[in-house]
Amino acid sequence: MKVLKVHVDERKCIGAGQCVLRAPKIFDQREDGIVILLDPTPPAALHEAARKAADLCPAEAIAIEEDA
Amino acid sequence: MPAEPAPDFPFHRTDPLHPPPQYALARATRPVLPVTLYDGRRAWLITRYEDMRAVTTDARFSGEFANPNFPAITPARRVVDKHERAFVGMDNPRHDHYRRMFTREFGTKRIFALRPRIEAIAHRLIDALMAQPEPADLVATIAVPFPSLVMCDLIGSPYEDHPFIIACAAGRHGLLQTPAEAEEKARALSAYFLRLIRRKEAEPGDDLVSRIIEEHVKPGNLSREDFAEIGAMILRAGHDTTTNMIGVGTLILLDHPDQAAAVRDNPDLVPGAVEELLRFVSPVQFLPRRVALEDVPIGAVVIRKGEGVFALNPAANRDPAVFPDPDRFDVHRDASRHVAFGFGIHQCLGQILARLELQVVLPLLLRRMPGLRVAAADGEIRFKDDMQIYGVHNLPVAWS
Repeated sequence: MKVLKVHVDERKCIGAGQCVLRAPKIFDQREDGIVILLDPTPPAALHEAARKAADLCPAEAIAIEEDA
Repeated sequence: MPAEPAPDFPFHRTDPLHPPPQYALARATRPVLPVTLYDGRRAWLITRYEDMRAVTTDARFSGEFANPNFPAITPARRVVDKHERAFVGMDNPRHDHYRRMFTREFGTKRIFALRPRIEAIAHRLIDALMAQPEPADLVATIAVPFPSLVMCDLIGSPYEDHPFIIACAAGRHGLLQTPAEAEEKARALSAYFLRLIRRKEAEPGDDLVSRIIEEHVKPGNLSREDFAEIGAMILRAGHDTTTNMIGVGTLILLDHPDQAAAVRDNPDLVPGAVEELLRFVSPVQFLPRRVALEDVPIGAVVIRKGEGVFALNPAANRDPAVFPDPDRFDVHRDASRHVAFGFGIHQCLGQILARLELQVVLPLLLRRMPGLRVAAADGEIRFKDDMQIYGVHNLPVAWS
């Protein structure tokens, strides 16, 4: 089964919130607006949302690692 | 910069609901286009989506307004840029240091919790509009007061001050005012916010100003003066941008009755419709701006150290490589990659709030006023060709 790993870099996060809007099962925001990673290995049904959230992050704080 | 002739920028629209045709032409032929600014300086326009994102995420392009080579669209803008003290005009690490003090206020947790209050404000304004004789101006009755009431509720500023705040924002966001006028309006708004801080220090409330005082001013992380500059930026941005999206957004929806009906009848379509409106309108016409700190290749050109760049979001948002048939308004498309809020670290701080306001008020107008229609004679709608933030000055509507 295809594995997808999500990494977030809190130091880069600017609290834009795009990831929460796009993939609320994978990302949330702390009270102070900085990203929380809820699910670092989301199920296959959420892979597209994970990729989309990484693409939309304006601070490039989300990285996706996928098996080739 | 190349010695070749470079057209004067900004360009003029030939259709009020589409960006100037030069953007599409440049994208197809010369996607990084040299232009001439009002003061004779040259700058580069970025017209492709991927290039826009490359510029705005590359630290070799600076967003420091204080840089003497920072490109400005008008002489007034050059003067206010010089005086900008908020993080909108800072590079990292200073940008993130200040912005992070405010992400709590504009994050999803706090903003989503505002929804019932925002809905109540929208209902109240629509009640008042429907009590007026027809036709009535939707800009004066909804588009201007709605974001202002929401902002006043969030910030803790008295609602009776909103005409002053809007006048200050217009003084900053115009294309035609003198540098002296723009500077005076900028100073007046900062001074206003400083007075608001002092008032909230004496009488705290459940509002942004009181919370920031407690969290950051009292512990000594943020001076009152710096907070006042950031506060002025938040007031300008919060009062003047959503207003324009509501006015011109309603016009576009009413121009597409089938799509408006679909949005009205299907709440699931609302978020996507708002993204498509943001893409299609891209009201913040002349941003983002950057200046190169070293030579950087973008596409087929090398942008040299010290050269200015307009990484235009309205051009990126009409790039057919990302948005097929980009000049077609279509609430059913996936417009989520749009960059109407900018990209990179300076992407709009208030975007969660702006989206929520639009997601509330636009469908509510359509649902509560099913007969809503534009009631303007030819040429009666005045488009904001005189402003940096695009929209309509008025929108006469009828509904019965």
